[in-house]
Amino acid sequence: MLLRYWPEDTKLNFMGLRLGGAILSVLLITASIFLLSTRGLNLGVDFAGGTVMELQQTETLSVESIRAAMPFPAEVNSAVGTDARSIVVVKFGAADPSLLGEEFATLAPELQAERAQQLTNEIVASTLKEKLGLADEDFLRDDSVGPKVSGELFRSGIMALVSALVLMLAYIWLRFEWQFSVGAVAALAHDVIITLGVFSLLQLEFNLTTIAALLTIIGYSMNDTVVVFDRVREERRKYKKMADRQVINQSLNLTLSRTLLTSGTTLLALFAIFFLGGPVLRGMSFALIWGIGIGTYSSIFIASSIVLSLGMDLNKKPAEDVTGFQGVR
Amino acid sequence: MLQFPVWKVSLIVGILLWGVMMALPNVVNMSGAPAGVPKQGVNLGLDLQGGVYLMMEINPDEVVANRLEVFAIDIRNALGNRDGQPLIGHLSEVDGRVLNVSLTRPGADGSFPVDEALTRIRKLNGSVEGAIGGAKTYEIEAAGPALITVTVPGSSEETLMKDALAKTMTIVRRRVDPEGVSEISITPQGNSRIILEAPGEPDATRLKSLLSRDGKMTFNLVESSPSAIAAAEKGVVKPGYRLLSGPETGPLLVRNIPEVTGADIATASQGYDDGNRPQINFRLNGNGAAKFFQTTRNNSGKLFAIVLDDTIMSAPRINEPIPGGSVRITGDFSIEEAQDLAAIIEAGEMPAKVQFLDQRTVSATLGQDSIRAGVRASLIGLALVAAFMILAYGLMGFFAVGSLAANIILIVGALSGLGATLTLPGIAGIILTIGMAVDANVLVFERIREEQRAGRSPLTAVQAGYERALSTILDANITTFIAAAILYLLGSGPVKGFAVTLAIGIITSVFTAFVLTRWFTVSWLKGFKPKKFVL
Repeated sequence: MLLRYWPEDTKLNFMGLRLGGAILSVLLITASIFLLSTRGLNLGVDFAGGTVMELQQTETLSVESIRAAMPFPAEVNSAVGTDARSIVVVKFGAADPSLLGEEFATLAPELQAERAQQLTNEIVASTLKEKLGLADEDFLRDDSVGPKVSGELFRSGIMALVSALVLMLAYIWLRFEWQFSVGAVAALAHDVIITLGVFSLLQLEFNLTTIAALLTIIGYSMNDTVVVFDRVREERRKYKKMADRQVINQSLNLTLSRTLLTSGTTLLALFAIFFLGGPVLRGMSFALIWGIGIGTYSSIFIASSIVLSLGMDLNKKPAEDVTGFQGVR
Repeated sequence: MLQFPVWKVSLIVGILLWGVMMALPNVVNMSGAPAGVPKQGVNLGLDLQGGVYLMMEINPDEVVANRLEVFAIDIRNALGNRDGQPLIGHLSEVDGRVLNVSLTRPGADGSFPVDEALTRIRKLNGSVEGAIGGAKTYEIEAAGPALITVTVPGSSEETLMKDALAKTMTIVRRRVDPEGVSEISITPQGNSRIILEAPGEPDATRLKSLLSRDGKMTFNLVESSPSAIAAAEKGVVKPGYRLLSGPETGPLLVRNIPEVTGADIATASQGYDDGNRPQINFRLNGNGAAKFFQTTRNNSGKLFAIVLDDTIMSAPRINEPIPGGSVRITGDFSIEEAQDLAAIIEAGEMPAKVQFLDQRTVSATLGQDSIRAGVRASLIGLALVAAFMILAYGLMGFFAVGSLAANIILIVGALSGLGATLTLPGIAGIILTIGMAVDANVLVFERIREEQRAGRSPLTAVQAGYERALSTILDANITTFIAAAILYLLGSGPVKGFAVTLAIGIITSVFTAFVLTRWFTVSWLKGFKPKKFVL
């Protein structure tokens, strides 16, 4: 229908813009690395340890009343919760040992670190219940992560990202030529670093769901890159005499309407999560929306440019004959 | 590509029907359905139904130390003057992971009988259960002229930890769910951790206080001579005794070696006393009842302390010998406290104290909110994508939307059928799949458009379009699948839920886009035979 009005063959000179793209990307990556090393990430309790409590806001239960009732100073903020509920978010780490009672002092030092967070949580919960007359139901959420688990979660998150990159590299190497695999993985690393940079810039909470979002971005960006590469390989074989630059440009133009359509539908779905899915999913959907944009950009300006710079090796036997995907027909 | 023989069509329809059948209980109450029809919808994660998640750990150092404490009692027996053997004077002390046995009485020649002691202790040393080559439970060595050290080697520590973890899990289960009726799930993780997931609206503080106690229960005789108590309060405790206290009794001088222990308790429950106040009733097993009877017969007039985790619960005076082994603890308990204490006493002593590493509580209210928000976001996302596809591709877009609907039914059906758990990020995974699922359709449609531009007839264009797009679709989806698989392997909790829906979504979307849409398209082309194919 409407797509009939899309120009049948666009002839955009993407590779002509690649120097500009490269400069932009280098600037963004430098800025991201700078931000990450100076400002750092706003780690959530998953990775930093600590406690987060969410309480239903009422006439008597407000940021001020909770702040006044807390046994020690903590971060207390009001927020809009899931389903437009007004909530108060209380965030704190382990309290000073002097507040934790006699039993705590007798514990072995290696046990204290873990116990401190749990005890602090119990003390805060009971103080709030007592001073403000709260019941269990008033606590919408109460998460307490000790230092051991938060450290492990952080390490396994980084492990997940690195192993995803390595496996992608291996898969593309198997299916294409090494130049493609270098281009694809450079694009992925580019996406991940710049997304982390945005998280640092906006100080968005970085937690387990953000890692999930980053892995999905890797998957999506890869998906995009593979579609372009598949086309490049096909056109390369079809037009043996054509210059690499022209082959890549032609492939990018041929896949352009698909790229835009798929990004479009995915973004529509993601905007629905962002606006309607509640605060738990907001960080994740933000990362994905950003990632889809950057992933589309990187498959054109990073992945394809790198393949162009490295050159394509036509003498190599096409890998698909080996894997037999063509035989499925 | 264009042939759909009967077997293929029946396979497609069969898969769709399976999906509908599996997905149905999520929408309709199926409790009245005949046997064989699935009645259970998808499992909801704790973040959607509310509940408590607790990760706890038992400390290997403590498990080893506790085991060595027990071995020290065996050593005391082995080195005592039993069965005609002479007594070997010694002092046992557990220091971290080492049990030091220092000999205290030199023989006539001034040297210590280390060799004799070693022989006797080594006789106690059994093989590690299931070990190859008869590996021993303990490593027992002479470490000096008067010192023997006992340690636990790595291989037997592994067995110890396994036992301790299994035992702890049983005790955790018995404490939090004494009736065995709740939906609390208790699973091991690695060799030292236990994860407890309690759905609904349970009280995390109560759960933690139930689990954080050792549950070491003993019945000890009390020394009541005023001079001994006075001395103890000045810091001179009579040897073999220690000073303990309790809310009901105040400080008492209690004998170290118990008369009856928690191991002799058969059952414990909450009941009421004559004044209708909550109390704890328990019954000793045969062995315990016999020991109890003997102690009460021989110690008339003395106080008998019931001690739980070094706190005196109660210390009644023995008036007459008590046969039958029925005991009760009265005190100032609430019903809930009495129930919890009964559960702790009946479950027995933990092999080591559990430590809480990670606790997450979501109220049922928040869970409900999340479900509502998730469902709303999915429906609106679906509507937007459907409108977009139909606007972009017309009739073919309509086919793609039909496939998309089937795709969602299949995802929900597969999640229900596999018993996977749906979490909030899992719902996000479904919405993301809605957006990405049309990708395969778009890839094919764009190819068909190109082929038509090259002058092919509708049918051959469709054929070529599907053929050319296949390897791209597979490549693109395999890479995303790799990402989902890594997420599943390394993620935890809600993130795992996201990985599962993403992975299932990839498989179902390839099926629906590549097979279902093609079937729709080909059937339409063959039925209506349009001259020009409008895309």
